[in-house]
Amino acid sequence: MRQFDVIVIGSGPAGQKAAVQAAKAGKTVALVERDQLLGGACVHRGTIPSKTLRENALRVKKMRENAALCSFELAEDIEMSTLIDRLNLVLKAHDGFMVNQIERNKIERVHGRAKFLSAHELEITKVKGEAEVIKGDSFVIASGSIPRHPDNVPVDHEHVFDSDSILSMLYLPTSLTVLGGGVIASEYASIFQALGVKVTMIDRYPLPLGFMDGDLTEKFVHAFQEMGGTWMGGKNVVDVKWDGLSQVITTCDDGTVVRSSKLLCAAGRTANVGDLAIEKAGVSLNDSGNISVDEMLQTKAPHIYAAGDVIGPPSLASASMEQGRRASCNALGIEVGPMSKMIPSGIYGIPELSAVGLTEQQASKVFGKVLVGKANFEEISRGQISGINDGMLKIICDADGQKILGVQIVGEGATELIHIGQMAMLADSPVDIFVESIFNFPTLAEAYRVAALAIIGQRSLNADKY
Amino acid sequence: MTDLNGKLSDNGIEVASLLEQQLISKQVDVPLLPDVASRVLSLSSDPDSDAAQLAKLIQSDQALAGHVMRIANSAAYTPNASMVSLQQAIARLGMNLITEIALAASVNAKLFKAPGFESRIAEIWSHALCTALWGKEISRASKKNVEASFLCGLLHSIGRPAILQGLAELEIKHEATLGQDEARLLEDHYHVAFGEAIVERWGMPVIVQQSVKYYLNYQESETNSEQATVIHAASKVAEQMLWPKDGEDLTSLKEDSVFADLNLYADEIDMLFEKEDVVKAGLEAMRV
Repeated sequence: MRQFDVIVIGSGPAGQKAAVQAAKAGKTVALVERDQLLGGACVHRGTIPSKTLRENALRVKKMRENAALCSFELAEDIEMSTLIDRLNLVLKAHDGFMVNQIERNKIERVHGRAKFLSAHELEITKVKGEAEVIKGDSFVIASGSIPRHPDNVPVDHEHVFDSDSILSMLYLPTSLTVLGGGVIASEYASIFQALGVKVTMIDRYPLPLGFMDGDLTEKFVHAFQEMGGTWMGGKNVVDVKWDGLSQVITTCDDGTVVRSSKLLCAAGRTANVGDLAIEKAGVSLNDSGNISVDEMLQTKAPHIYAAGDVIGPPSLASASMEQGRRASCNALGIEVGPMSKMIPSGIYGIPELSAVGLTEQQASKVFGKVLVGKANFEEISRGQISGINDGMLKIICDADGQKILGVQIVGEGATELIHIGQMAMLADSPVDIFVESIFNFPTLAEAYRVAALAIIGQRSLNADKY
Repeated sequence: MTDLNGKLSDNGIEVASLLEQQLISKQVDVPLLPDVASRVLSLSSDPDSDAAQLAKLIQSDQALAGHVMRIANSAAYTPNASMVSLQQAIARLGMNLITEIALAASVNAKLFKAPGFESRIAEIWSHALCTALWGKEISRASKKNVEASFLCGLLHSIGRPAILQGLAELEIKHEATLGQDEARLLEDHYHVAFGEAIVERWGMPVIVQQSVKYYLNYQESETNSEQATVIHAASKVAEQMLWPKDGEDLTSLKEDSVFADLNLYADEIDMLFEKEDVVKAGLEAMRV
């Protein structure tokens, strides 16, 4: 029986970093992956493919907006493979990088499906059926998540897709219904709408992306509708069915019926632990269906750690990577500093949204009165030059208008722009830093200055200073 | 023809040579079945008929489905379009137009005339339809494109009936009688090239062309290896379902390396094979 110091289950962002960290600490490491390629859903079915599609959707949108400069019309039945044309190159480069890193660090790559037999024994079933039992001193479970399928949505991957299969469509459909209002739903809905697909988004909440402030998500919805999309908030879907010929029929509890060529069900994701038999290792799931861990990312079994989507929110690739690294460090007794609580979230819709720190709503709950400064991109020179409408940057400060509690941005470049605010918050700088610092001009960073001035203007003591 | 050396009679060599000439000159034709054509006609005159019936009828016939898709994909109807399913074609072009296309195709094309090979042609079509249906299930199980799998499966062996028709014609023309075994050798040897020529001339989407070309050697496909792999697996499952070797059921295929290449694990293959009744029901329904 082969034995390893650390066995990592799953090769997504969390698993990869966990394995590399353990190997760099001089330990023998096995990295178990059920797919043929390394990288997990993030690389092959989620983050990277959808962002590659998004890049082309943005190009298409830009070309449509600049129809006066060039005669442009998207072929009616353009192949998806054309729209994610660079994907293979991106994936190949990523896979090459990962394989190289795994080999360089002498990590044992194991292709198969893992199942705990006991606290320290893991059975690996290979794709051809043969099984091998390997033993580990410590484990990091980083098996990721899988799409959740509500009972009334018959996902068949032909007409009704989930977020793992949506990009297997060969051609752009004429119309698409998107169920859900979360990150995945918002990203795909806006991307397909930008590509000219007639998209209808249906969710039970009045606005999508409920973890962000309403004034930002309203901007997102407005931009989506401007592109021709339909947002149906506050509706519960009671039935989804394929009519057997050409349309998916979605029925809501208020009698609304939506017909479309295809449907994407983006009703959240759930921990991918179905085959793991974690109970045999003394690990259990919490009420949310995720593996419970403490601040050290340790499960109920002292030698088993978990990281990434499998432990639930924030379920961001960026956070998962750091969790994976820390899980290994903690398992091996390597000291690490406290994990940053300030994790930015990025929604790669069209337009992008991004946030760090508290929302206005959260800040009000915690601090009572807060001061808020906003800058609309159309009022910023760079925004005007680039034709960026529906963009806004919002800074939330404490009642004194000094301490930055959060930053929220909607608009192109939001996921990059957010880091300026994040750095200011990490440095505990007062909001004045955005006024006293000099940014390139014209850039969207000017929005920080405008929003900060709006806050400073509200300071009762310094109202006349600026 | 090198692979056939020593296996063919003089007549067989002569016919093989003529088949190769057909390939080189791209003189490959696929006629339609008159039975289906007449059903399309009766459907079109029935006010109670609907698009679902039309799709079902057209899908029951490999050659007609291919012909309709070729025309639906032509520049005259959908410029820059590459439709992969009849449902898509009917939804986009409408039932009447598809009916017209089917009728126009049936009126203008030659019929299959392959005396002596009728039962073999029936076998081929049954297997093609079965492959199409299994293709969809295998794609679904491995989360690959489902919609294109039907057409890819249905047309993957389109070269076979075309060869048999060619053989029958050549037999008459050259008075060179071939036995069933020798015909099968030629069919096996040339069907991919014939199929490739047919789907290329029909202007089928690249994924269909690549599936036809590479389904036997899917590892060689650079652009659509996933789809070719699915059709390879589907063809094998269809064959085992229709003509079980040694009376064994589908589970005898579990060890086949194509499933490992699709990254399907043993329990996932079991779940896939549980779809046998669904496929059988689909097969019956589409036979009309």
